[in-house]
Amino acid sequence: MTVAQPTRLVEMRDINVAFGGVHAVRDVTIDLYAGEVVGLVGGNGAGKSTLMRVLSGAHPADSGEILIDGTKVSITNPRDAKALKIETIYQTLALADNVDAPANLFLGRELTSLGMLDDSAMEDATRKVMGRLNPNFTRFKAAVRSLSGGQRQAVAIARAVHFNARILIMDEPTAALGPAETAQVRDLIRQLKLEGIGIFLISHDIHDVFDLSDRISVMYHGRLVGTVKKSEVTSDDVLAMIIMGKAPEEVTERDLAALHR
Amino acid sequence: MTNVADATPVSSEVKPPARTSFRSLLAQTEVDLRLFGMLVALAAILLTFNVLSGGTFFRPTNMVTLAVQATGVAIIATGMVMVIVSRNIDLSVGSVVGVVAMTYALLMTDWMPNVLGMGVDFPFRWVIALGLGVGLGAAIGALQGFIIAYVGVPSFIVTLGGLLSIRGVVWYLSSGAAVSGLDDSFQLIGGGAQGSIGGTATWILGIVACLPIIALLISGRRQRRRYGFPVRPVWAEALLGVIGCGAVLGLAAFANANLWPQGLANRYAAEHGIPIPAGGLHISTGLPYPIILLVGVTLVMTWMATRRRFGRYVYAYGGNPDAAELAGINTRWTILKTYVLMGVLCALAAAIAAARLNGSTLDVGSGYELYVIAAAVVGGTSFAGGIGTIPGAVLGAFVMQSLAYGLSFMGVNSPGQNVVAGIVLILAVGFDSFNRRRGS
Amino acid sequence: MLIRKLAAITAVAAIALAACTSQSPGASTAASVAASVAASAGAPCTVGVSWNNFQQPRWAAHDEPNLKSTVEAGGGKYISADANLSSEQQLTDVDTLISKGANVLVLLAQDNKAILPALKKAKDAGIPVIAYDRLIEDPSILYLTFDNVLVGKAEATAILTKVPKGNYVLITGDPGDPNASTFLPQGWDQAGLKDKVASGDIVLLNGPKGTATDAWKTEKAQANMEAIIDKAVADGKKIDAILAENDSTALGVVAALTAKSYGFPPLSGQDGDPANLNNVALGKQYVDVFKNANELGKAAGAAALALCNGTAMADLKLPAGLLDPTVAPAAGLSAQDFTTPNGTVVKSFILQPTPLTADTLQTAIDAKQISKADLCKGVDPASAPAACK
Repeated sequence: MTVAQPTRLVEMRDINVAFGGVHAVRDVTIDLYAGEVVGLVGGNGAGKSTLMRVLSGAHPADSGEILIDGTKVSITNPRDAKALKIETIYQTLALADNVDAPANLFLGRELTSLGMLDDSAMEDATRKVMGRLNPNFTRFKAAVRSLSGGQRQAVAIARAVHFNARILIMDEPTAALGPAETAQVRDLIRQLKLEGIGIFLISHDIHDVFDLSDRISVMYHGRLVGTVKKSEVTSDDVLAMIIMGKAPEEVTERDLAALHR
Repeated sequence: MTNVADATPVSSEVKPPARTSFRSLLAQTEVDLRLFGMLVALAAILLTFNVLSGGTFFRPTNMVTLAVQATGVAIIATGMVMVIVSRNIDLSVGSVVGVVAMTYALLMTDWMPNVLGMGVDFPFRWVIALGLGVGLGAAIGALQGFIIAYVGVPSFIVTLGGLLSIRGVVWYLSSGAAVSGLDDSFQLIGGGAQGSIGGTATWILGIVACLPIIALLISGRRQRRRYGFPVRPVWAEALLGVIGCGAVLGLAAFANANLWPQGLANRYAAEHGIPIPAGGLHISTGLPYPIILLVGVTLVMTWMATRRRFGRYVYAYGGNPDAAELAGINTRWTILKTYVLMGVLCALAAAIAAARLNGSTLDVGSGYELYVIAAAVVGGTSFAGGIGTIPGAVLGAFVMQSLAYGLSFMGVNSPGQNVVAGIVLILAVGFDSFNRRRGS
Repeated sequence: MLIRKLAAITAVAAIALAACTSQSPGASTAASVAASVAASAGAPCTVGVSWNNFQQPRWAAHDEPNLKSTVEAGGGKYISADANLSSEQQLTDVDTLISKGANVLVLLAQDNKAILPALKKAKDAGIPVIAYDRLIEDPSILYLTFDNVLVGKAEATAILTKVPKGNYVLITGDPGDPNASTFLPQGWDQAGLKDKVASGDIVLLNGPKGTATDAWKTEKAQANMEAIIDKAVADGKKIDAILAENDSTALGVVAALTAKSYGFPPLSGQDGDPANLNNVALGKQYVDVFKNANELGKAAGAAALALCNGTAMADLKLPAGLLDPTVAPAAGLSAQDFTTPNGTVVKSFILQPTPLTADTLQTAIDAKQISKADLCKGVDPASAPAACK
């Protein structure tokens, strides 16, 4: 199953998360290598976002452990995650709409000089990183509320790029975007991958996932159905896993027939 | 320029348009259009009253009275902006002002001489009293802020409880009676002829204040040059400098045109053996202390809101609480700090109120919460969170107070003043939301 | 805000009183004081008093000690209860007082409607009831209070005597309070303000109705007064006198005059608040009209003893010499008819308020309204009034 590489960038072992009586994530073990994209797929409520919120520090796990570069770590809040160079691009974008792009990029990690915000330095850094991601972007002093969906997504990604993320979690990064912007984001993901960043990509768009991922992990009702190499499966196999919650070898001809009916 | 007060802010990259309208010229100076509009509205109100009163309204004495009357509400409004921007409310400000004002009065008339052993001649009694009052305000703010941020009780409920219970404490502290007789030095905080810095000091202050304005413009321009960012046209920079310095020096001149009342001047002359000239002795009062305090508070609060992480976090939290939390900001601590700040500002406003009354009554500060919220909202603060500026709120307080003072000057009763204040509040917010809708 | 509530009621009393002025005041002698007191000494008498709220210092400091000592001097027994602002508690209190053997009840009602069940119990038990300072709507009661129209009259009389001609400023209280908008100004007019305005002796600088002050707030009165001073100065007019309806507004006026270094034209007020009495001693307020609660307590004690002895309400008479003559009811020492706002006629004693000026401040000390130290705080010994010497 595993690619022959020295150490795994991320390893999440036996993760469990429960909200009240709902067992949102159940004994999930998942891993990620540098320069690799792992697609995380599953139906609504399958637990993919919750699993990733554990890694990004937004929600603590009830049990299980997380290893970064083979070392056990403790992630209890977003600051811990950021210190480990884990950056997250949320489905909801998680931008403060009322402030401008530099303020969002540096939110929580502002540059200061003499205890005061150094807005010029932050704008300069933002101009540099946005120059790479979206060279046409010029509205550095506008509230991000007034930006287009693609521009806002670029700001969110710029945050991860600027802080030299090693592990990037992208939760539905193209959900709010038009076709041209979606293509832009896909290019960007390939570029980041080349730079050696490990990416968890959550998406319900199976084409996105097949296009970008090296491996695909499928979740079903909080469980991990299985992790497969993209090169070894068809999209039908993955669809079956998503819908039936069965690993490819368990899927029967009848299941597939039912799927296509 | 991160705390954008408008949904359609001015981009620095906009090339000067071919058609040169007043609006586009204004845009090049990067002046906040909303603030500019409020200044125009304020001027219109003052001029209207001047016409209605047959030209007797717009006198330095009257304007200084008006400004001093607005200081208490304006000082608290600077903090209310931060509270409302971070999607909370503070209804307890009036009661906090009341309890701190009563504390000042009791400290100086009873507790200091009788309990702490600091008689009337004890040095710096006013500083000690002020320090204790500010500490009390901060403690009340911290307690309320803790319950809101860490226990998770809605701010409306916590501060409504504060409004009721803290006012009750005033009653217990004072046993139901007014307390009067503050130290002379403390009374200076309230303004008046003696509570002002005098003509010469006002000119010096004006000139000294002018220098940082120019320095800020130059260093800002240099900074942007250094990074190769677009800069304002030189004429715009120069205009801003001239307007800034002109405004400061103009205000100084205006304050200095306010003279000591003739009786007081004559008494002073008699005491100091100064001959009284034929036209009467003219002594400039200069800027009153409460106004200097307000200017200082406005500058510090603006600095905190725009130049410090704390301010950035408050605005970001108001814009999107989840984003702020996910960005790793300690949002609870930030919220708690806004309430501590509120308590401190209430204590400063209480000092002005107590100094002006030379004591405290049971009802000092009552109703402030409404005036303060009105000032913040008229000044462009939005209850949706994330939007509002501190200079806007100060201007809002001045707009509301100029209406109250002007109507009072014209002999309109308090109920009439309230009717107008209420209508203006609704109009201002209505106009604002109309503009925002059109803008987006 | 008891005072305001009261005022509404008392103002009507004044109208009723005016109708009764044809009765000549009965002449009393010191002998009759002794006689009435001695008579009561014969029969054992328990006076039960239900206070609504002892936390307000006035009742414990002034009313109760005088009521109690008058009852005890007449050989009666004083029992009491404090309802601590609860109408329900007060009903229980009255039950307790009755079961402890009260022959007469003195009620300071927390709520004049909620007290009615207690009143019914007293009536059933044949116990006479005195409504103390707060009216109870029932023909069977005796009503004791101060005359509030006379408060306004006393304010204006003092200022008009001092400044018969000149520019006046009128500072009134909360416009929603009939006491502020109607009854106190009525008293001012009775003292001659209206006539002097009509004759041109007095010019009102801030309109015929003056400037109202919402909720009687000191800060509001201060802000309004500052604007009025600014306007007067701008118009080149001098303020010669100021009629302020009560002490909290007068305090705001003094603060405004101080801030403007205007000097202190004669200024009125009422309530006898310590800060204002101090201002009278300092020469910053000319007159402070106050209601001497000690005398109301004495009157209640004497009336209770008489009722105990079986005197009919209609025949009640306060002993001569018991009350300070300046406080004793203007209508005389016999109980007078009083028509309540609902049209009920009850018997009543309506006492007069006391105007205090620098010359008569000793009265405030004697009445324990204020200590000499507080009254004379900051007073320059050279120009001190007699009470501070």
